[in-house]
Amino acid sequence: MRPYFIAPLFALVAGIALPSLTFAQAPPPAKPAGSTPDLSGVWNVKGSPATRYLSWGFMKEEPPMTPWAEEKFKATKPSFGPRAVEDSNDPVNPTTVSAVGCFPPGMPRLYLQPFPMEIIQVPGRVIMLFEFSHFIRQIYTDGRKHNTDLGPTWLGDAIGHWDGDTLVVDTIGFNDKTWLDRAGHPHSTDLHLVERIRRVDEKTLTDDITIEDPKAYTKPWGGQITFQLRPTWNITEMVCEDNVNFDQFLKNEANPKK
Amino acid sequence: MPSNIARNAAKLIAVAAGMLLASVSLSAHHGQAGYNTTETVTVSGSLTDFQFVNPHSIVSIGVKDDKGETQAWQGELTSPNHLIRAGWTATTLKAGDQVTMTGYRAKTGANSMWITKISVNGEDLRMGAGN
Repeated sequence: MRPYFIAPLFALVAGIALPSLTFAQAPPPAKPAGSTPDLSGVWNVKGSPATRYLSWGFMKEEPPMTPWAEEKFKATKPSFGPRAVEDSNDPVNPTTVSAVGCFPPGMPRLYLQPFPMEIIQVPGRVIMLFEFSHFIRQIYTDGRKHNTDLGPTWLGDAIGHWDGDTLVVDTIGFNDKTWLDRAGHPHSTDLHLVERIRRVDEKTLTDDITIEDPKAYTKPWGGQITFQLRPTWNITEMVCEDNVNFDQFLKNEANPKK
Repeated sequence: MPSNIARNAAKLIAVAAGMLLASVSLSAHHGQAGYNTTETVTVSGSLTDFQFVNPHSIVSIGVKDDKGETQAWQGELTSPNHLIRAGWTATTLKAGDQVTMTGYRAKTGANSMWITKISVNGEDLRMGAGN
């Protein structure tokens, strides 16, 4: 039955996202007085030998899990990272054809999916367009408080404010269906994400992420992601569920000719 | 009445079949663990099909074996999004092109690979992203 939850979910996401897209496609508004730093552009995670772990997690070390989280972590079978296995139960990128995949990665895992993200800024709002499955994250910077009317959601409710040249983003209201990263670290609905996003120079953006979840972790932890500006890239279509193309491919692979 | 029962039974079967299809189509975004990444194989042949599709692109070629018989091989590439940034288009590979592909073979032993290197008509194609 689980796959049936996907369609209404995406209809919901599209319903929320479409009015914003219409707004984003309008001519750019004039910059307000006392204008904020410009974070806009297409950004891709910048890897280095020292940060290879960014292909599965936010830091090299194991985060300080509570017994509750340890138990959940042990039950995860990730496709990536030091514990990668062939029969993974990764809800986004499983390694076997019998597992259900393409569920929303949620935050902050969405940053680790290997596809770029575009930031669009309009007054009172910073919008992140993720190429992976076209997720849209809206960070309201107009001074509003958290809106939790929607209940737990995949991306949570994000509000932000400017601390000098740094955008401080506060996100709560998550469901607990996602992993924090691609290595299988769990979280509860108490997850609280704090990010400090800064354009270090024209071509570099950093995001210092702090993960707080007292039910799952004994103290806050996190890491820094560095993004590289990709001035010639566009966000293009990437639909994870468009897998009908693979039916014959997988049949051929599962039943080799002898 | 019997016809109603039959109609309901047919509906049930249709729903069940739909659920099965939905499961299959959602399940296929797999990683590399189905491939043997400890060694590579290389095959060459004439392109029979190229699908420039999400989430990963698919290359099909016919490879002549020692007996002169054609064996079908298939290869998996990364997503079109990444390939576009490396200069690819939907017509980069055309039917009849001579393709050489190197990659990790499926653990099942099928003529199927995760492509790590590919050339068309003698020209190597970039798979990594540019600026």
